[in-house]
Amino acid sequence: MGTIRWLRILDPLRGLFERFGVDYAMMCRILEIKLLMDGRRAPTIIQRSGKNADPDALSNQFIKSLWIYVLLSVVLLPIIAMKINLMFQMSLVFGILMFMVTTSMISDFSSVILDVRDRNILFSKPVRRQTINMAKILHVIIYLLLLTGALTLLPLLVGLFTHGPLFFLLFIVEIILMDLFIVALTAALYWLVLRFFDGEKLKDIINYVQIGLTIGMTVGYQFISRLFNLMDMNIAFAPKWWEIFIFPAWFASPFEWVLSGSAHTYIILFSVLSVVGPLAAIWMYSLLMPSFERNLQKLASHQARGRKSRTGWNDRLSKLFCRGNIERLFFRFSWDMMGRERDFKLKVYPQLGFSLIFPFVFMFNMLHSNSGFAEMRSGRSFLFLYFCALMIPTVVQMLKYSGNSKGAWIYQTAPLTNSIPVYKGTLKAMIARLFGPVFVFQAIVFLFIFGARIIPDLIVILLSVLLYTMLSFMVFEKELPFSVPFQSVQSGNALIFFGMMLLLGVLAGAHLGFTFLAYGKYLWMLVLLVLNLIAWKLAFRQVRSDRLQRL
Amino acid sequence: MIETAGASKERVISIRNLEMSYGSKPILKGIDLDVYEGQIIGYIGPNGAGKSTTVKIMLGLIEGYQGEVHIFGRDIADGDMEYKRRIGYVPEVAELYDSLTAQEYLSFVGELYGLTQRKADHKARRLMAKFGLEEVYFDRISSFSKGMRQKVLLISSLLHNPDILFLDEPLSGLDANSVMIVKEILSALAAEGKTIFYSSHIMDVVEKISSRILLLNGGQIVADGSFEELREQSHERSLEQIFNDLTGFHEYKDVASSFVSIVQEV
Repeated sequence: MGTIRWLRILDPLRGLFERFGVDYAMMCRILEIKLLMDGRRAPTIIQRSGKNADPDALSNQFIKSLWIYVLLSVVLLPIIAMKINLMFQMSLVFGILMFMVTTSMISDFSSVILDVRDRNILFSKPVRRQTINMAKILHVIIYLLLLTGALTLLPLLVGLFTHGPLFFLLFIVEIILMDLFIVALTAALYWLVLRFFDGEKLKDIINYVQIGLTIGMTVGYQFISRLFNLMDMNIAFAPKWWEIFIFPAWFASPFEWVLSGSAHTYIILFSVLSVVGPLAAIWMYSLLMPSFERNLQKLASHQARGRKSRTGWNDRLSKLFCRGNIERLFFRFSWDMMGRERDFKLKVYPQLGFSLIFPFVFMFNMLHSNSGFAEMRSGRSFLFLYFCALMIPTVVQMLKYSGNSKGAWIYQTAPLTNSIPVYKGTLKAMIARLFGPVFVFQAIVFLFIFGARIIPDLIVILLSVLLYTMLSFMVFEKELPFSVPFQSVQSGNALIFFGMMLLLGVLAGAHLGFTFLAYGKYLWMLVLLVLNLIAWKLAFRQVRSDRLQRL
Repeated sequence: MIETAGASKERVISIRNLEMSYGSKPILKGIDLDVYEGQIIGYIGPNGAGKSTTVKIMLGLIEGYQGEVHIFGRDIADGDMEYKRRIGYVPEVAELYDSLTAQEYLSFVGELYGLTQRKADHKARRLMAKFGLEEVYFDRISSFSKGMRQKVLLISSLLHNPDILFLDEPLSGLDANSVMIVKEILSALAAEGKTIFYSSHIMDVVEKISSRILLLNGGQIVADGSFEELREQSHERSLEQIFNDLTGFHEYKDVASSFVSIVQEV
């Protein structure tokens, strides 16, 4: 267990820390342990419980992911480099930066800020609060610096070459102020949530932010190209009073003021806010810190909510879709698991988000490159709806994973003789809960766009997707639902996934082909119906019932 | 080994009129307590009686209480953390940084208490060996069983040779042999003049090892004395019965029989 050497760079500040009443050596030790633990947060816990005390504590999953942020920052480069309207450009840059930093902050460092173990382990020791708090603050700062450093390295360089050293310096200062602001805002968010709700709610919120981040990243980049088209237009920017609520505008204003020399009252006001705002936020944060720490205790505790037992949707749907009690039981069980398990949601919900958005993204791209809306309406663009099934192989494969896979012992101890209803119930629940809402929503939007004429096509698409689901189920190795830990997600299935994507293309192609025949789609509908019935019969034949024993 | 409140002994903990509430819910309603060195105090009470809260207040984990708490003659609210150097703590939930190895965790905790890393490491290693955990000293705690974690916690609370020990369910997860060892360790430590504050739900153990029993109910101390004294006062045979008696819980037979009848419904 070597000391982390680069922490030495703090040594010159030792005197300063000690003036704040911080025990410097102890603080470094705590920081070191924290960084060491971060290095192990990677999902490799069980495989090697070994003699390896990572010598290089920063060979950390996070550090490895930094280059992705460098890569992501490439989109900022053209926005900075072009010279249209500095205020607009920089607002956009700071908007994107704030989004990325805030969401990464919430999804990746929440465990740092919200570690409840600290209380019992550190506070019960003869270590001053100042020392512990300073270690915690430094811990967050180190990560934030690495993150923003990776994100702004290239933009800073490009800014230096295109706009000169003054821009460069201003950019650095504003980035630091932005970081401060984000830290305080995130803490305020946690504080608010913890004040009114309990820890479970906060964990849910963090979960949704993580999901949102994943979706936002992917989809955002789809739309970035749109943005450049927008910028071809000459934007005359006149600051308006309501922009005071758009924080990125604060941080962009100094550029407009100093470099473009526009001394509009709002510009000056925003510039001042970009300095005063973050500092005030940090000051408030330090005031709220004690109350924050007190509320943190709630994370560990859980208030009983005294909720009524719900016999709602899932009960009715299970009766509608399933035959037999076991099948119904697993329909309801999977329904609940899919909605409750955070690890599962984190892995699967972003996929749902893509499914929800991709058909529209492609349609808009089409709209842009082609003639017009009216022509598209009468065309066959509704076939883009097939994109919503892209997620199905992944989700079907994910059904076997769970963060609490150890709970799967109930399969062995419960008197289940046949595992077929287990799979059937789970698959049906997946379709009903995850795919269903996405499809229904899109079908409605598509109906509005294309009119009632596509109703038969929607049915064809639905049937194709159901068939596709069964095929996905047949292709992958089957394990009981929620019985395998996420750590063992194997990545060797890329070829199968690729094959499945092709297959979806084939299904969409067949649909397209049949639309050229008179009554072709009704014929195809019939074929699909038969294929579905066969698939439902065949798919479960390969499920050996000894699976239960073997587990 | 029975001895109550010996006047010759030094007073290590003194609590006066301690009150605490979470929001509008009162948890502690005026606790008065003097603890002398060498005592093993069994701190018992039903769930939610305020046991953990008392302990956490003494450790400085909870603020905002009313009343006075003196440990080693100093008010713990005076902002000086030094008294914690002489305290060892085993929390109720086995919370540790379990992505660390036992070696890393224990030497870190030792250092927090002001030991040097080498000394903490050396000591921890030998103590682990005594518990038969030599083999896993360099393994991550996340791979440990509940009993092993509990042993790591016990060692981490003792590395710095504290004068007061706060133990919250210290025997949970330990096998019978380890329980024997730990019980023996506790009485040996008490004989050395250490004070042990022991809270548990297992009455048999409390009955056997405690030199003084404190029963907490509804935020107040309702019984205080050695097991023999409590037995004389309440005319019950076992601590379990005394516990039921003093916490006003008599219907356990009714609860059990109606429970079983629900089980048999099917």
